[in-house]
Amino acid sequence: MTDQIQYVGEHLWPGRIGQPAVFLAFCSALLSALAFYFATQKRANEPLATSWRRLGRIAFGIHGAAVLTVIGCIFFVMINNYYEYQYVQAHVNDDLAFRYIFSAFWEGQEGSFLLWMFWHVVLGGLLILSARQWEAPVLSIVSSVQVIIGSMLLGVYLGFGEEAYRIGSNPMLLLRDTMNIPLFANAEYVSLLEGTGLNPLLQNWWMTVHPPTLFLGFASTVVPFSFAMAGLWVRDHRGWLKPVLPWALFSGAILGTGILMGGAWAYEALSFGGYWAWDPVENMSLVPWIALIAGIHTNLIARNTDHSIRASYIFYALSFLLIIYSTFLTRSGVLGETSVHAFTEMGLEWQLVSFIFIYLFLSTYLFFSRLKGIPVVAKEETTSSKEFWLFIGSLVLLFSAVLITVSTSLPVYNKIREFFDPGFVGHVITDPIPHFNKYQLWIGVFIGLLSGFSQFLRWRESNFPQYQKQFWLHLGVSVVLAAVFTYLTTRAIQLQAWQYQLLMFTGWFGVVTNLDHLIFFLRGNIKVGGSAISHIGFGLMIVGVLFSGLNQKVISRNPFLMEGLTANEEAKRNTVLLIQDSPMIMADYELTLRKDTMDYLTRTYFIDYKRLSPTGEVIEQFQLSPNILYDKTFTKVAASNPSTKQYWNRDIFTHIAALPPEEMDIDAKKAKEDSLNYLPFTLAVGEKVTLLDTVPIEDRDTFSVRTVDLELLSLSRNAAHPDYLPEEGDLAVGAEIRVHNSELDTSFIAHPVIVLRGQVLYSFPAQINPINTRVKLNEEIFDLVYTPEGKLGYQEYDLAAGDSVRVDDVTVTFTGFNRTPTHPNYTPATGDIAVGATLQVKAASGQKFTSEPVFFIRDSRPLNLKDEVTEAGIHSRFVSLDPQTGKAKIFLAKAPPRVPQAAFSVATKAYRTDWVALQAIEFPGINYFWIGATFMMFGLTLSMVHRIRTQRVLA
Amino acid sequence: MKKVYIIAGIMIALAVSLFVMAKDDLSTYASISDAITTGKRVKIAGQLAKDKEMTYDPQKDPNHFTFYIRDASEAIQKVVLLQPKPQDFELSEQVVLTGRMQDDTFVATDVLLKCPSKYKDEEINIKEKQG
Repeated sequence: MTDQIQYVGEHLWPGRIGQPAVFLAFCSALLSALAFYFATQKRANEPLATSWRRLGRIAFGIHGAAVLTVIGCIFFVMINNYYEYQYVQAHVNDDLAFRYIFSAFWEGQEGSFLLWMFWHVVLGGLLILSARQWEAPVLSIVSSVQVIIGSMLLGVYLGFGEEAYRIGSNPMLLLRDTMNIPLFANAEYVSLLEGTGLNPLLQNWWMTVHPPTLFLGFASTVVPFSFAMAGLWVRDHRGWLKPVLPWALFSGAILGTGILMGGAWAYEALSFGGYWAWDPVENMSLVPWIALIAGIHTNLIARNTDHSIRASYIFYALSFLLIIYSTFLTRSGVLGETSVHAFTEMGLEWQLVSFIFIYLFLSTYLFFSRLKGIPVVAKEETTSSKEFWLFIGSLVLLFSAVLITVSTSLPVYNKIREFFDPGFVGHVITDPIPHFNKYQLWIGVFIGLLSGFSQFLRWRESNFPQYQKQFWLHLGVSVVLAAVFTYLTTRAIQLQAWQYQLLMFTGWFGVVTNLDHLIFFLRGNIKVGGSAISHIGFGLMIVGVLFSGLNQKVISRNPFLMEGLTANEEAKRNTVLLIQDSPMIMADYELTLRKDTMDYLTRTYFIDYKRLSPTGEVIEQFQLSPNILYDKTFTKVAASNPSTKQYWNRDIFTHIAALPPEEMDIDAKKAKEDSLNYLPFTLAVGEKVTLLDTVPIEDRDTFSVRTVDLELLSLSRNAAHPDYLPEEGDLAVGAEIRVHNSELDTSFIAHPVIVLRGQVLYSFPAQINPINTRVKLNEEIFDLVYTPEGKLGYQEYDLAAGDSVRVDDVTVTFTGFNRTPTHPNYTPATGDIAVGATLQVKAASGQKFTSEPVFFIRDSRPLNLKDEVTEAGIHSRFVSLDPQTGKAKIFLAKAPPRVPQAAFSVATKAYRTDWVALQAIEFPGINYFWIGATFMMFGLTLSMVHRIRTQRVLA
Repeated sequence: MKKVYIIAGIMIALAVSLFVMAKDDLSTYASISDAITTGKRVKIAGQLAKDKEMTYDPQKDPNHFTFYIRDASEAIQKVVLLQPKPQDFELSEQVVLTGRMQDDTFVATDVLLKCPSKYKDEEINIKEKQG
């Protein structure tokens, strides 16, 4: 069907470039991998190897260009909102700000694969320039990885007998190629398409910087892996150890930064209320990093002593394999309900599994086939040597990685068991956070201790008895200092369990020993101090974790107690209801919700915080402004963004946990409005009515009765309402109604408005939140306020100033012209000539009124606006003015006089809408964590720079 | 024997014993009847019983949301969630709750919702006709 249709408005050329580029990227990566393979295999034959290598370089260059072309095409169609492309339709919409286009690009799996490939291209290019004799084997491995990732984007079907398997998901496909819906029978379907847009949670600055950093981290682990494989491949087990080190340090720094940025994003932009939650996705990016750090340490041992070469192979290989495993876990949907991160399944599970097994087999085969040739030092390390304890440290790290991986892989284990035994019931970790904390605490203790004292030890220690005096001196001083710091910190925060006190001690111990090392051993030479600085950072991070994790103080403690809850359960109940302008005291603070403002889809709430002293005086005052984001159709709340007040030693974090249901969801609002029991009233101005309101008393079969007095104070034909934007031709009626509630003995003034625009009625009810009362005007008010023109028999009068006429029993006197008329429905425009005719109206009762109909000329058209004295029943129009005689032509009509009346309805059991459910938490010492983390990454970077520099000097 | 091997051996032994100990942290997705009989802290999975009432009155207690779930064996259980009502709760396909039985209600502290995917086929946004 669709073949015969000539579609209108499609832009096919980016796809015609992009799709072949996807294939070219795949094929050229394959060629590059093979060429570099032969360049390695034929390395004995120098000229042959050189020509293979040249081919490999050319192929890699083409590959790079192809990857960039695909990325360029996707960006092009995204920027131009070509919704006929499936990827654009799924991730962009017209409202998406340009600054989020990158986030939208890597929101999808295909985009993130491309980002990964892009970094491989960049890293591969740098390796071609710098790896010298390692270029061919290393690039062969890197290119082979590009082949596999490239295959994820192919989007081709392979037939095996009856079944067709899809390989990859092509990001350049047209929407009509990916699905078959009746829409595509319309030749102009493109003009009807609208984008889905970017998930509001990802419309955030962090989402622009976090993914590229993390993916650079992911991508960079391929380099140590490729060097390790290359070392095994060409049986040069020592040669690779030196060039790999700066790459591994780079990878450690970038991957670490990427992970931490994720934590910072979760803390600052999401409402998770923390930076780490042991979520599977977090764990599986942490584990490769831990393996990599272990590898860096064994690499150092191997460089200095020849020990641990095998371990270095294993750790670097493990790090990359865990990256692929993590990719599998996060993208295959296997994690299911164990993770808060949402995944869209791509149907590439088997492809991801093969990815893992290909490299698992490759590395296992290479390792075991070369095992015998790997140098091993016969003599064992002495316990007083640095290499011994560094190796133990690496084992502890491995241990940590294994524990985390096994726990996180539980869903995979369940899937496998279910495959063999469909009746198997899967296991889950009931409470992941305590589970992980319990074990990783000990890892922290060991690493803190090891990273401390091993700094004082020396490589290949052969003369410890002579050195030990100095060693024990430094160690002793550090222990004492760390103990003092621990004592001081336990005075500042609560650390009940001895395990936590011990961890705090090891954290400070790591800081003190490494500082000592930096000052007394390295003589403050920062250039070589990368290791000391990163270990100081690790120690500080531990201190920060203990501060912020264990001593979070919930400010918004729920005042409503529930019976039978445990302390832990009660602690989870940490949101409070904050009603606008009613201050609430909680913990040391007085919180007041001031107001909220709307800016397009963002609704920002302003909350005043006053910190109080024990005697109740205000110590300091600040305002926090968390916001919520509505989805683009304004029907639902899409995201809640926290707001944080930062001090050097603590953060006050606040976010909106819930809004009144009617404010969160338009359907709830409608349902609520429909469910209200409105009582209708018709009152004249000044008239009063009392209604009885029965209130059921909870848990008893009785009711309390209260009275509500209603009084119509005034009526307006030209009503204003904050939500109402007047338009020409509107009939807007407003009323001022006093509502007095006997229970509170307070009067409230309600200002409901109703507007007739064309044939459509718009009602703007007034909500009186303190007494849960809602007042709205009824449609009948228009008949009460306006008399239909058709029913009026206008008489025509030509009047000069001072003339009087009798209309029925009413005397109307024309007193003169008003050059600056103020008619409620008249808004002056430039070029207008406007005159009002001032009329004195004297009713039969003798009551006097003033009326002023308006005549005006706009764009050389004569127009007039009527006026009305309802009480006297006089309607008047000023239709023209004779410039010669100065007489005014005035239409007058008499209708039965009446008192202005309003028809309105009152509902007394409306819910109040001026509140938020708020969560406010104080995180003490969170900056220790961030500072520590920064130190750690800075230390790794410093070491990398140092290694590159020394290599260059030696080369 | 090398010291590293001894230490590695100790670690492996430790790891095994830790995993054995970690059994206490594990649970299966309990059925409602399991939760009632054991009285332990468990995870239960089920669907929101849409025909039963949901109550959330934040003015009374913003951390108290009651609803009913129906598990795989069609058993129905009243649940009290000690949190504000999660967003899009009505749309959830599956609800996973962590908590314990207290009297006749399941008191849950944590909830995970599985919501229908945003990217369902056939659900393409189409512009409303202008004018």
